[in-house]
Amino acid sequence: MFDFFGLFFIQRALIIGSIIAVVGGLIGPFVFYRKMAFMGVGIAHGTFAGIALGILIGVSPLPVAIIFAIGLGIFIGFISKTGKISEDVSIGILFSFAMGLGIFLISISPGYHTDIMGYLFGDILAISNYDMYLAIIVLILVFLWYMIRSRQMKYMTFDEDFAKISGVPVGIDYYIFMALISLMIVIIVNFVGVILASSIIIAPAAASKLIVKKFSAMVILSMVFGEIAIFSGITFSYDLNISSGPSIVFFITFAFILSLIFNKIRRAFNKKRLYDLKNNTWQKNV
Amino acid sequence: MIKIDSLSVRYDEIEVLSNLSLTLEDVKFHAIMGPNGGGKTTFIKALVGLLPYEGKIEIDGIEHKQYLKRNSIGYLAQRGSQFSSFPITAIEVVEMGRYRFKESKKLRKQKAFEFLKVLEMEKFSDKSIEELSGGQQQRVLMARSLATESKILVLDEPLTGMDSKAQSLFYDMIKRIKDEFKLTIIMSSHDVGFISEYADNIVCINRELVPHDKSAKVLSCTEMSQLYGPKIGMVEHHHLHSEKDDV
Repeated sequence: MFDFFGLFFIQRALIIGSIIAVVGGLIGPFVFYRKMAFMGVGIAHGTFAGIALGILIGVSPLPVAIIFAIGLGIFIGFISKTGKISEDVSIGILFSFAMGLGIFLISISPGYHTDIMGYLFGDILAISNYDMYLAIIVLILVFLWYMIRSRQMKYMTFDEDFAKISGVPVGIDYYIFMALISLMIVIIVNFVGVILASSIIIAPAAASKLIVKKFSAMVILSMVFGEIAIFSGITFSYDLNISSGPSIVFFITFAFILSLIFNKIRRAFNKKRLYDLKNNTWQKNV
Repeated sequence: MIKIDSLSVRYDEIEVLSNLSLTLEDVKFHAIMGPNGGGKTTFIKALVGLLPYEGKIEIDGIEHKQYLKRNSIGYLAQRGSQFSSFPITAIEVVEMGRYRFKESKKLRKQKAFEFLKVLEMEKFSDKSIEELSGGQQQRVLMARSLATESKILVLDEPLTGMDSKAQSLFYDMIKRIKDEFKLTIIMSSHDVGFISEYADNIVCINRELVPHDKSAKVLSCTEMSQLYGPKIGMVEHHHLHSEKDDV
């Protein structure tokens, strides 16, 4: 069943998949608590416009996608910080525009174009060595960021006003975070495509939040959920000969639903235990 | 000493605070009073550096922005807008106040624990802030402000939602830490009841400074309403002392 692991492109996909799960585990919980899931959607769609521009001008889409994603990430961050227009509205407009621009640019590009569906829903066959090198660079950057800035990020996420008063450079930290989310999305896009990218960032964090209370545990569990979903998703998509994106997203959503059920059962159990405890105390007193 | 000269704050085109000039003396309890929408929170946010303003503020003779670059001001935001649902323990919250200090992680934790002790919250140090009651959360946030070692503590309507007993305990706690740490307390409130008993000075704001020559101790609700005009109602809580008096 697992013979396909001998295939070079599958090995490459698994390496990048593992990196995505780790990076997602470090970034995702912050995205969750800062309520930035929709921002991820916006940046992912911006990446598509970047890829399309790369195809049109005949250069490798990857660097153009990086520039577009980081640019859009910082731009969305700027809008939400200075906030004359609500963040939801601005992202809603921007991501439709980026999608439309991407389709338009690909349509006017001369010659044969790579399958658009691959960019929209992911195609592990399209993953190149460059993608792998980029994923390793992103992993190093995110890991260093977490080591150096996660304390500041926790403070900002908990109470931004006090963090600012205490001397945390909240503006700089915020834009660095936006740039890292953008870089992460670029490496996710080949995996699950622009449409499904945000679920890889947010779903493992949301699922782990339902099971554990501590932030550090949430980070680790997000990574575990991500690894399992990506590994299972690739296996499933290869066996059924379907696109990797929907398959991975299916497993991540499944993990979320299982966590939800676990959380409900645990709450019901705790409630019953509390009720029994009260009842016993009352009976003893009587 | 905090010297404020011609302070004005605008939101877009609307002037929320206009031409405020006053001096707040050290180691005193200054109450900022005024009706809802009168600019108390705006004043406090400008003072702690969260809002841009026009005019001049000096703290201990140092220009405000320069002062804030090197020092924190202890700050307790309005209840309900204080923090997100981020999972963090009480001691980690207090550690936030130590951000400017270049100290080891161990020392940071030790100091944070000491400040939790001052507020009698040490046994909750490893509890998640969300698991604590409203009053306990206030104490942890107060410990965080003390941990900054700032000589100024700014509180924005900290009594919202508290019953009179909790308010009385809160004021006692403020008085104790003010005397123990030699703090300048600046606290906003629209509650005339208790504050006139505890404050050394009452600053009345209604979009601008409302001048009065009364001492804090004798300023009553009726006089306060007269200061702001007959249409503005002030909240007067019946506190423990008056309840006892009534009995």
